[in-house]
Amino acid sequence: MSRYRIMGKGRVDHSAPVSFTFDGKTYKGLRGDTVASALLANGVHLMGRSFKYHRPRGAVTAGSEEPNALIGTSRGAGRFEPNTRATVQELRAGLVTESQNKWPNLSFDLGAINDRAYMLFSAGFYYKTFMWPKSFWDKVYEPVIRGAAGLGKSPTEPDPDRYASRYLHTDVLVVGAGPAGIAAALAAAQSGADVTLVDENPEMGGSLLSDPAVQIDGKPAWDWVEAQLGRLRAAGVRLMTRTTAIGYYHQNMVGLCQRLTDHLDNPPKGAPRERMWRVRAGQVVLAQGALEKPLVFDGNDRPGVMLAGAAQTYLHKFGVRVGDNPAVVTSHDSAWYAAFDLADHGARIAAIIDTRDAVRPDLLEAARKRGIKVLASHTVTTTTGRSRVKSVRAALVRGDTVGAGHDIACDCLLMSGGWTPSLHLFSHTKGSLAWDGQTFLPDRKTEDCEIAGAGRGLWGYQPVLADGAAAGLRALAGLGRAGHDACFTVGNDRPGTGVTHTELPTDGNAGKARAFIDFQNDVTAKDIRLAVREGMRSIEHVKRYTTNGMATDQGKMSNINGLMIAADALGKAPPQVGLTTFRPPYTPTSFGAFCGYLRGETFQLTRKTPIDPWAEANGAVFEPVAQWRRAWYFPKPGEDMHAAVLRECKATRASLGIFDASTLGKIEVAGPDAVEFMNRIYTNPWTKLAPGRCRYGLLLGEDGFIRDDGVIGRLSPDLFHVTTTTGGAARVLTMMEDYLQTEWPDLDVWLTSTTEQWATVALNGPNALTMLKPLVQGVDWDDFPHMSCGECTVAGLPARLFRLSFTGEIGFEVNVPARHGLALWTALMEAGKPYDICPYGTETMHVLRAEKGYIIVGQDTDGTVTPADAGLDWAVCKAKKDFVGKRSLSRPDIVAKGRKQLVGLLTEDGSLLQEGAQIVLDPDQPKPMRMVGHVTSSYQSTMGHPIAMAVIEGGFDKMGETVFVPMPDGVRKARITSTVFYDPEGLRLKA
Amino acid sequence: MMTSQKHDFAAAAIRIEDVAPTLRLSLRVKPAHRETLGRALGLDLPTRVGTRAAANGTEALCLGPDEWLIVAPEGTDPAAPARAAYAQAPHSLVDISDREITLRLSGPAVLDVLASCCPRNIAAMPVGSAVRTVFDSATVILWRDGPTDFRMDIWRSFVPHVCALLAQVQDEVMADL
Amino acid sequence: MLLIHCPYCEDTLPELEFTYAGEAHIARPADPSALSDEEWRDYLFIRTNARGPHYERWRHVGCGRFFNALRDTVSDRFLMTYKAGLPRPPLPQETVE
Repeated sequence: MSRYRIMGKGRVDHSAPVSFTFDGKTYKGLRGDTVASALLANGVHLMGRSFKYHRPRGAVTAGSEEPNALIGTSRGAGRFEPNTRATVQELRAGLVTESQNKWPNLSFDLGAINDRAYMLFSAGFYYKTFMWPKSFWDKVYEPVIRGAAGLGKSPTEPDPDRYASRYLHTDVLVVGAGPAGIAAALAAAQSGADVTLVDENPEMGGSLLSDPAVQIDGKPAWDWVEAQLGRLRAAGVRLMTRTTAIGYYHQNMVGLCQRLTDHLDNPPKGAPRERMWRVRAGQVVLAQGALEKPLVFDGNDRPGVMLAGAAQTYLHKFGVRVGDNPAVVTSHDSAWYAAFDLADHGARIAAIIDTRDAVRPDLLEAARKRGIKVLASHTVTTTTGRSRVKSVRAALVRGDTVGAGHDIACDCLLMSGGWTPSLHLFSHTKGSLAWDGQTFLPDRKTEDCEIAGAGRGLWGYQPVLADGAAAGLRALAGLGRAGHDACFTVGNDRPGTGVTHTELPTDGNAGKARAFIDFQNDVTAKDIRLAVREGMRSIEHVKRYTTNGMATDQGKMSNINGLMIAADALGKAPPQVGLTTFRPPYTPTSFGAFCGYLRGETFQLTRKTPIDPWAEANGAVFEPVAQWRRAWYFPKPGEDMHAAVLRECKATRASLGIFDASTLGKIEVAGPDAVEFMNRIYTNPWTKLAPGRCRYGLLLGEDGFIRDDGVIGRLSPDLFHVTTTTGGAARVLTMMEDYLQTEWPDLDVWLTSTTEQWATVALNGPNALTMLKPLVQGVDWDDFPHMSCGECTVAGLPARLFRLSFTGEIGFEVNVPARHGLALWTALMEAGKPYDICPYGTETMHVLRAEKGYIIVGQDTDGTVTPADAGLDWAVCKAKKDFVGKRSLSRPDIVAKGRKQLVGLLTEDGSLLQEGAQIVLDPDQPKPMRMVGHVTSSYQSTMGHPIAMAVIEGGFDKMGETVFVPMPDGVRKARITSTVFYDPEGLRLKA
Repeated sequence: MMTSQKHDFAAAAIRIEDVAPTLRLSLRVKPAHRETLGRALGLDLPTRVGTRAAANGTEALCLGPDEWLIVAPEGTDPAAPARAAYAQAPHSLVDISDREITLRLSGPAVLDVLASCCPRNIAAMPVGSAVRTVFDSATVILWRDGPTDFRMDIWRSFVPHVCALLAQVQDEVMADL
Repeated sequence: MLLIHCPYCEDTLPELEFTYAGEAHIARPADPSALSDEEWRDYLFIRTNARGPHYERWRHVGCGRFFNALRDTVSDRFLMTYKAGLPRPPLPQETVE
């Protein structure tokens, strides 16, 4: 039995010891312990060093609001987690933990020299101290400060754990399973509503777990909790423990992070570590209770100084007496009960120091009965003790006068500055707050939510239970349902009130006091006053200047104390100064929980074509194109990308290449008004396009800039098979639907995406026709010239055949129903053997089209290129009165001289240009140079020299002129040419 | 849709199977011609989005005010009479049998599995309804055939992604935490 | 994540099923060639960028329909949604500050 453990006491399992290590030393705790409770049971209060001053620190709370006791936990390779709160981390077998922010070790830390230099590190110190010399900024100050300050180390290995996500729709979500939350859930569960009750702790019951002597409806608190949870379960209420409501968003969406495996000795295989729930609730009941505030006095941060409520929790939940000889300092009645409970469990209370003049007679009487010394109207001016508090100095206060202090020996000091309603989630909804003279309470709501219990400033179990039940009923009423009122009889209730303070009065030098407000960011009362003295007026500025409330605990304990002191320094009332905004998440949340399933293989959607398995089996290198992965090139053993692409290009130009074009967008445009629709949408004329023929189509936005292009076949008078770019498929369909639905609803035409209905295989090369002919049935080859299309069979498969070319060679695109895609590919590969058929990827496709000067929308155009700029004027039908974008083609800036125009570029030295490289006319001009355009496409070609395309101001009038392309390794000279580098007469198509 | 393996909760909790291809047609027609076309198809085309009507092995799902998905056995041609009515009731009927692949998801954990990636309230879907919705970043059509029996039509290229997600969720269901 | 009422599906559904489609009630001119450069510029580029209630368009993936909405850009609340083609409804009486 550990020194401070009380035999048989608490909700821990005394028959189940659990071993763990802390800084290399093995300790024994019990099943049900947190790391903090187990260390305290072993008499260990020193658990960490503070952020800035490296001051020794111990656990100050027993919950998720803990600012001090941050540890690193390790569960094996890649499973190190820094900044875990020791007060939350449950013990499990073999848990390895370590303290943080210390060197060489926790009890002797060289960084603590910062504490000696306290006066140097005051608010805004880095704005003032590290100004000069400039050269020191990144070489000295930054690394040294980063090294000395800060919290735990980030892990470097990838996280091997899985994380999960879940959507949940529920009628009523109750956040917090203390007395108010349980009462609310009981009320809401009437009349069949779907109710969800969540709590961040491993066990439900909230404060009742720390107050076992309370009786509800004649039952001891713990029995009552057990019975009510049974009732809730029976009513079908979803009960979720270890589940933190981290954020409250629009329209009653609440984010919950559920911790699934961190407490398990052996997590089941495949189990996610955490699950993020996105809950949509009809009504939300916030029953999150209140957080205890520290009192602000010199030395309020020593190990052994903790919140009185925390000590009460350690006693009752964990059976741990936090000290043998505690002193208590308080401005609230609640700490008196903590003192009584500890006294009743063998602790000798050194004194109860109360800042108030008048204390309730029944409390005085209860203290007297236990022989506890009471010091009313007293302040605490300082404490002593390095790794654990040894004494506290109390002094009588009369008016503004602080009397002589006297030291009281103790081994821990329990403090209470009253309680702050937990307003965080309410604050996420932008609900307004009202000041009640002591603290802020929720006021005007923006969501369908109820706030119940201590979360809206109530105290004592009787009113809290009644309030919870009423909130549950109001939530039901909000759903249009009714329920019965509930009535609770509470025995041994613990009502209480208190007062809120700024710093406690002192007889010492207040300017030198280490009276901490924000323990985690090492912000003191002096820092707040300094910030106000230096001109900060808004609480938001005070917060940022001092960093008060900006640590991972989000100011849970510090915000009200900081506000009280800032308001005092400003001479204003607290509500005039206001509270900073709480933001999600409520407690630190792992990145894994936010990612959920979207990591590794499922990080992002990756679309694959029906022919993808063949490409993968045949060694393709893939590249992402829009959401697709496409075969980029097919290297043979020993080939690099350049060699593979050159081989693929040459094979296609020499005989026959085969390419998976399935990703091309395809849209079926069908209906009596199909041709009218096509005339309105595309720049080209469609009326005279005969069925069985196809045409290049150019699509503009209303601004006149190129949006998309593709070859479009007319299969029958009322049916067009439209193709789009791979990346443009969804966008083009949406744009077309938009016009159809909102501008031209009178047209009888409909659009259907058939991108995935068809697998598309492109065949290109001088032998394409010869090879394909024997496989095709149903085509009249005498009437199937270049730019024809029709329905037929290919290799026995139903097909739509297009004769077109994106390479300058004889070309076909064979579309078959997607399930046959792989069969078609295999059949064509087989039939192509006599022609040395060569599978090629997107890179070769790019080179071959660039040699012919065919543009790729989105590469050679960038949303500022008109048809004229791209040399595509021929595709624009001047005779049409209107089409999308036509009016813009006569706008003044579109017809102005000096627009960037698409031209070819050949380098003088035969070197390859970089895509994206800027172009200048005079390489010797002073910087910044005037840039007249940029390279859009650049490749090694089949012609023995590289080719490039570029947009250049007035490029069409500069044919043959020289421009300069500055690149990292020197300036290149290049000649402006036509974009058609290969077979400019188009003879190969006619072959 | 519980299997006989009731003693083995995890194994029966969720089953995911491929469904054999069927004929699928996308039908678009304006409300004015809905009845005419419905008569031609031998179906009363439902008008409320998400509802279904079936006759003679052909089923129609209303996806939008002018859009229906027609499902019929492979090898049949239920659209032939509709094509004959084109002049009186202009419409578009496009074969999309190969566009999507259908998975059947069933078992007592199926609502949890779908709730992993579907933001819509799937539990509130009436049995016998179907909707176009999203599963993670994929647009899918989800059919509810029974309380714990669903079909999901997924665009073919999205299937690897959806299945990879479902495999993770299946593991999660098996772990039963 | 917002909830949006689709006027075609007659259901209130999660935002992830919807995409934003710009300001509403900006009809494409019947004869763009009759417009001056300034008028055409205004049609193309000039938007109200309202602070407060804003008429805008959304599209639902479920039914594929574009529809109109009145959304408060300050509170990010949908005040109403209605079918495409219906006239612009008046602003509600109490506009959110």
